[in-house]
Amino acid sequence: MRTARVSVVGLAAGALILTGCSSGGGGDAGGVSKDDAAKQQIKYEFGDAKDSTGPAEPVKGAKKGGVLTVYQRDSFAHLDPAQIYVSDEGSMSTLIHRRLTSYKRDSAGKYTVVGDLATDSGTPSKDQRTWKYTLKDGVKWEDGSPITSKDIRHTFERQFAPFISEGPVFIQQWMAGASGTGYRKLLPDGPYKGDHLSDKVLETPNDKTIVFHFKDPQPDLPYALGMAGYAAVQKKGDTKEKYDKKPVASGPYKIESFKSGKSMKLVRNTEWDAKTDPVRHQYPDSHNIQFGVSFEASTKRLVSDSAENQTAVSYSNQVDASSMQSVRSDPKVKDRSLSGYQPYVGKISFNMDRLKNKKVREAIAYALPAQSLMQAFGGSGGGELAGNYLSPTVAGHTESDPYGKVENPQGDVKKAKRILKEAGKTGMKLTFAYQNSPEWSDFSIAAKDNLTKAGFDVQLKDIVTDTYYDQIGKIKNNYDMYHSSWGADWPSASTVIPPTLDGRQVQDGASNYSHYNNPKMNKEMDRISKIKDADEAAKEWGKLSDEILKKDLPDVPLMYYKQIQLHGSKVGGAVMNNVISGIDPTQLYVKK
Amino acid sequence: MLRFLVRRSLGAMVILLIISAVTFFLFYAVPRDPAMLACGKNCTPDALEVIRKNMGIDEPIPMQYWHFMIGIFAGRTFAQGACPAPCFGYSFANSDPVWDTILDRFPTTVSLTVGGAIVFLVIGLGAGMIAAWKRGTFADKLFSTGSLVLSSMQIYFVGPLVMALLVFNLGLLDQPSYVPLSEDPAGWFMGLLIPWMVIQIIFTANYTRLSRSSMIEQLAEDHVRTARAKGMSGKFVFFRYAWRGSLIPIVTIFGVDLGSLLGGAMITEWTFSLPGLGKLAVDSVANTDLPMVMGVMLFSATFIILFNVIVDAAYAFIDPRVRLA
Repeated sequence: MRTARVSVVGLAAGALILTGCSSGGGGDAGGVSKDDAAKQQIKYEFGDAKDSTGPAEPVKGAKKGGVLTVYQRDSFAHLDPAQIYVSDEGSMSTLIHRRLTSYKRDSAGKYTVVGDLATDSGTPSKDQRTWKYTLKDGVKWEDGSPITSKDIRHTFERQFAPFISEGPVFIQQWMAGASGTGYRKLLPDGPYKGDHLSDKVLETPNDKTIVFHFKDPQPDLPYALGMAGYAAVQKKGDTKEKYDKKPVASGPYKIESFKSGKSMKLVRNTEWDAKTDPVRHQYPDSHNIQFGVSFEASTKRLVSDSAENQTAVSYSNQVDASSMQSVRSDPKVKDRSLSGYQPYVGKISFNMDRLKNKKVREAIAYALPAQSLMQAFGGSGGGELAGNYLSPTVAGHTESDPYGKVENPQGDVKKAKRILKEAGKTGMKLTFAYQNSPEWSDFSIAAKDNLTKAGFDVQLKDIVTDTYYDQIGKIKNNYDMYHSSWGADWPSASTVIPPTLDGRQVQDGASNYSHYNNPKMNKEMDRISKIKDADEAAKEWGKLSDEILKKDLPDVPLMYYKQIQLHGSKVGGAVMNNVISGIDPTQLYVKK
Repeated sequence: MLRFLVRRSLGAMVILLIISAVTFFLFYAVPRDPAMLACGKNCTPDALEVIRKNMGIDEPIPMQYWHFMIGIFAGRTFAQGACPAPCFGYSFANSDPVWDTILDRFPTTVSLTVGGAIVFLVIGLGAGMIAAWKRGTFADKLFSTGSLVLSSMQIYFVGPLVMALLVFNLGLLDQPSYVPLSEDPAGWFMGLLIPWMVIQIIFTANYTRLSRSSMIEQLAEDHVRTARAKGMSGKFVFFRYAWRGSLIPIVTIFGVDLGSLLGGAMITEWTFSLPGLGKLAVDSVANTDLPMVMGVMLFSATFIILFNVIVDAAYAFIDPRVRLA
């Protein structure tokens, strides 16, 4: 779950979804259709012991050796798994950290949640309140010592320590049966002052077994355990805050050097055993990562395919909006591109403390030109028109479009004008805040034009990108409407609807930007959260999502974000990974 | 001389103190909370409080400033550990020690600055002198017009253009990058060649025009005319008398330019993705990273002030008529 602070933190981790256009690296840049997305509306299956056994399926034509150059815009702020949430850190994390479960992508593009350090994706009790995991034989840290259940217990106990503030909190909340940061009371100092989680919450009866006990059914646990933020931390090597700079590796690579903001070098971890890993490969000798390379710069370099750029790639830098058209129209470059959905849905959020009249919100919804936003983000390569809150890649998505944003992407100004007149609000002042990026600046002008024609007196308020989410995240802000976006953590709307629309989570800095609070809907969220059957839950989330949109309209959905990524001509194995929302670094190799 | 240096050093410290106070208090005028940025999801007032305490921003702003300044001279202790003097604290964005980060980035900036300065001094002064020497000729017009055109160019425009031509299309040069001189001298040179070429385009133009006008002015001075009247050769008079006198304004500007560049060539470093102090400054501002902003600002300001003092002191050596008062 997260907001797309595109310019600040890069692209988020989480669920869905990017399309691997071809296993060899080619792709139909910008050409992901809704059909493709629907195919990837994945109900990830939970794998058994056989699915979880290594080695991973070999990448066709892959050879060992070579140095991979990696261009990244943003440096990695965190290396401690417990602090990792953003997708570029998540990509790197798959190379150095292992978790209890992980997401396996086969050559046909099918995803399965498998045991990573564990022998399978987990054994639940009937009521799904208890989950049991067993560690594989032969899993080791980079120093050669075995990974044991003591390390896993420590991994989860330290998630409660005060210095851990940026990683996922799902499992901690489930353990504590608490919302918000209430979970911290369960183990306020983490394991560092001698306290530990009770066996009623987390059991480790021997070196191999881990048993989670929750107050409520948690059918999504295998998904959550596969997040980068829940990767294992070595108890012996835990240096608390300093672990964030020098973590102990368990994956196929370890850190040789890391200079924040400059560079990072990953080299082979000789203690990693491919036979224990069903997900990762260890093809290149090293990954040489350069930070501070903007989207524009990496696009130019990779398009040129000159010298060292032939063996270069980026885990998460995408083609910049201004270059999308040229990338798509040059067959040679297009062959080296991959495209797909990001997990985000771009919306206009209404400040419901100020815009209380639903008719007014409706008039705005009809008037807004979604097409202009898509164009600003580079056309069909940068996004796709959105009819509702659930991305096509989230289970429960429907094609509903109650406000005609897909059917009439230029906006229906006449209808908006009529509705505003009926509401008796023609000429009302409207403050529209947007971040002063080129894309949103362009959209704001088009939006103002339509809204003015519909009868609003629009005041545009541009906000510096860096402070944008702080500003709109304040409950007492002075804006009537502003844009926001959100992406799922895994393919369930449970990581979309409650974080953005649960009225009990309205507070400064929280992600319910519209301040929407409907007790009836809140109750419904609680009910659906407890449904054990994933298919049924998905349907119910879809229904609830549409009901909120139609009845209350707290936000107007405009666009499902997409992206295009490039790689050099001597990079093989480039495929998009749905889980990390970018090129999968574990499958890459250097062509000879 | 000693009195001069002591007085200027004291003055410099006062200026640095003012800069530090202005930067620190201006930071809090920005409507952005660094603790909120680090607070992550499901942030609550309690969690924010803990983070503010860890960051050391839970105290009144004047008190924070006081502790920051004390830390520079006496060191401090943070949640991340002890921070020996000179302590600028730990980055809000990534918990790196600020001083270590600055020292890590400085060699990139020094390499860019020194290499670029050598190029633009040699070409700029050379072209300016030739233009002055051949005043009114085609060479003069060529250099004068050329410098005018070049001085109107911008690094963010010329940089990508040069890269597109020499790296991406013709493949003649390496992509700009920085590797330490001690590790790979050839890689260091080749990686910085394009940034030097681009940075010199902008500066060379200024130095060409400045040295030309200064030299022409000197050539019209009485002592130069006297030397010529005494029968000294034109070349001797040019280099022995006129050139030395023309250096004063050039040294003044060079001192300021060098100090500024050492403080971080922001646009050049950004254009070529070079991890120097300039890029660090931009990133720190974008990340609301107060300790890093403060560290880079004070470090840069120190260089600018230091080079101003050096320039003032150098006047006496260049021109014996100047006395340091």
